Amino acid sequence: MVGSPVQLIAIPLLAAFLMPLLGKAWKELVRLTPGVVLLYLLYLSVDLLSYTIGHGRVVEVIAGWTPPWGINLVFSPFSGFLATLMLFMGLLVWIYSYRFQPFEDYDDYEPTLKYYLLLMMLITASVGVVLTGDIFNLFVFIEILGITAYGLTAYYRGRDGAEASFKYLFIGSLSSTFLLLAIMIIYSQLGTLNMADIAVRAHELKPVYKISALVLFLVAFGIEAEMFPLNGWAPDAYSQAPAPVGAAFAGIVVKAGLYTVIRLIYTLFDVGGTYEFLIVMGLITMIIAEFAAFSQARLKRMLAYSSIGQMGLVLVAFGIGKEEGVYAALFLMFNHAIIKSLLFMSGSYLVYKSKNKYISELNGIGKMLPVTSFLFALGAFAIVGFPPFAGFWSKLAVLTAAADSGMILIIALILSISLIEVVYYLRVVNRIYFVKRDTDLEITKPTPQAMLSMLVLGAIILVVGFYPDVITGILHKASATLLDKGSYINDVLSLSQTIN
Amino acid sequence: MDLGNNLDLLTVTFYGTAIALVLIGLYAALVKRSLIKVVIGLSIVDSGIHLLLVSIGYLKNGTAPIFSPAVIDKNPTMVDPVPQALVLTAIVIGFAVTAVALALVIRLYRHHKTVNIDEIKNLKW
Repeated sequence: MVGSPVQLIAIPLLAAFLMPLLGKAWKELVRLTPGVVLLYLLYLSVDLLSYTIGHGRVVEVIAGWTPPWGINLVFSPFSGFLATLMLFMGLLVWIYSYRFQPFEDYDDYEPTLKYYLLLMMLITASVGVVLTGDIFNLFVFIEILGITAYGLTAYYRGRDGAEASFKYLFIGSLSSTFLLLAIMIIYSQLGTLNMADIAVRAHELKPVYKISALVLFLVAFGIEAEMFPLNGWAPDAYSQAPAPVGAAFAGIVVKAGLYTVIRLIYTLFDVGGTYEFLIVMGLITMIIAEFAAFSQARLKRMLAYSSIGQMGLVLVAFGIGKEEGVYAALFLMFNHAIIKSLLFMSGSYLVYKSKNKYISELNGIGKMLPVTSFLFALGAFAIVGFPPFAGFWSKLAVLTAAADSGMILIIALILSISLIEVVYYLRVVNRIYFVKRDTDLEITKPTPQAMLSMLVLGAIILVVGFYPDVITGILHKASATLLDKGSYINDVLSLSQTIN
Repeated sequence: MDLGNNLDLLTVTFYGTAIALVLIGLYAALVKRSLIKVVIGLSIVDSGIHLLLVSIGYLKNGTAPIFSPAVIDKNPTMVDPVPQALVLTAIVIGFAVTAVALALVIRLYRHHKTVNIDEIKNLKW
């Protein structure tokens, strides 16, 4: 073990605020620093992850205040897996946006600096959300995540970014109010903010406080996790943000949001009926989002709605519960991160010069941008779950989990919704390859860096598709860790005894 | 927040003001059509929540929770410092969110020449 979990938060935070100074010394440093930092963090995180798989979770105490008094970070196979995934996606997003043309079009380097600074903060906050073991600390990281996401959404001056961003800010600000209220109820009743301590003593709460806290938490976290009906911000934010930011939202921000919902339901509270609630909300989210995606005329909005639909499916898988359901949900989260990021990255080059980003403008582009189109098609096939691509195994895992729990109706629903998904993705692929080109829009070739990150994602989709074993081991371990609530509580709270 | 046992005037004032602030803020945020008023509304909601949070940690006749030899000897009741620390953090966050929101409003105003929500709808609201 070379480092400790706190470095995963402290180093990118420090780097983000050093960047303006580094930029004064040499402007290129602004572009290079995030990559170097993320590469090092990824190494740290992979190393920690392999350590935790052998030795159990690492609980880091901040400033010597042991839990339940101080803030602590928990790096378990579950949270560590998500943190590693986020850092990896962050690195790929950095490679993709390195010398991304729209950023270079600004006259001075100030916008570039702001972009990388916000991206670093976004990754820091997401990793913080996943690692922290304290609900108020969680609130702080969610707010950092929110503020950076608003900034990145409004990045382009020409588009309607500010409008999308204000919408996001409005709903995000209400969500933080709910979150504070929920934290207040917990603190006034239990006098603690530590997650493990709350989990131990949640049964002391009177039902009325417990239910109101749970509902407030669910509303607050549901907004980041794109749960229906709180996901109105998502399609606008995805479609107005720069391409790499769309990929970062799908690969990083939504994962953090989902994590909070899952931590809340699996660890903090034990209320009957929440699993059924997750299934119902997930199905509604999925059905509405997939129908909305079906009727979209613009590529990025279609991808955004499809992303919401996938999140619905993840919620369903988590709602099925047991180790199988959690395993399927984690597999889906991993696949969604790599595949949807690939779709955003390649899709945005397909409609690069277009102002409205209509799907009909993709006609016949397959001959002009063969590699990018091929990668987009690969992503489309993978996300709808065609074998032998990565998406097939996760969908199969969800269906198996549902079948083992005897939820036949849910299987039928998932399959029929998948059919809609197949139709609208194949419609796009059909336009790319089999319809004659009828617009005179110029095309733009991806930069070599963008191509590299897309090819890496494409390769992962194929590798996981042919050898799912490379990922299933860690996923099984992670899902077992999440379900083992007792050892989470024990690992965190036993620290105060060992040190004293 | 157990109102049944110690329902005195001070408690009622604190909680009542906090709830009134939240309601006023929500009204402004949800009903007003001017973006500036919406931002003000969101910020009032925040203040209400902060007041509520601080009043939870308040004890009757409590002093400030600062440990110094002179204070410790008298063995006083101290108010709970944790909600105060939380509120300090939340105020800073609220300030940042308000600043970002106002920056966005300025951007929207430059783009649309208005701050009326009804006239800014390139994206479906």
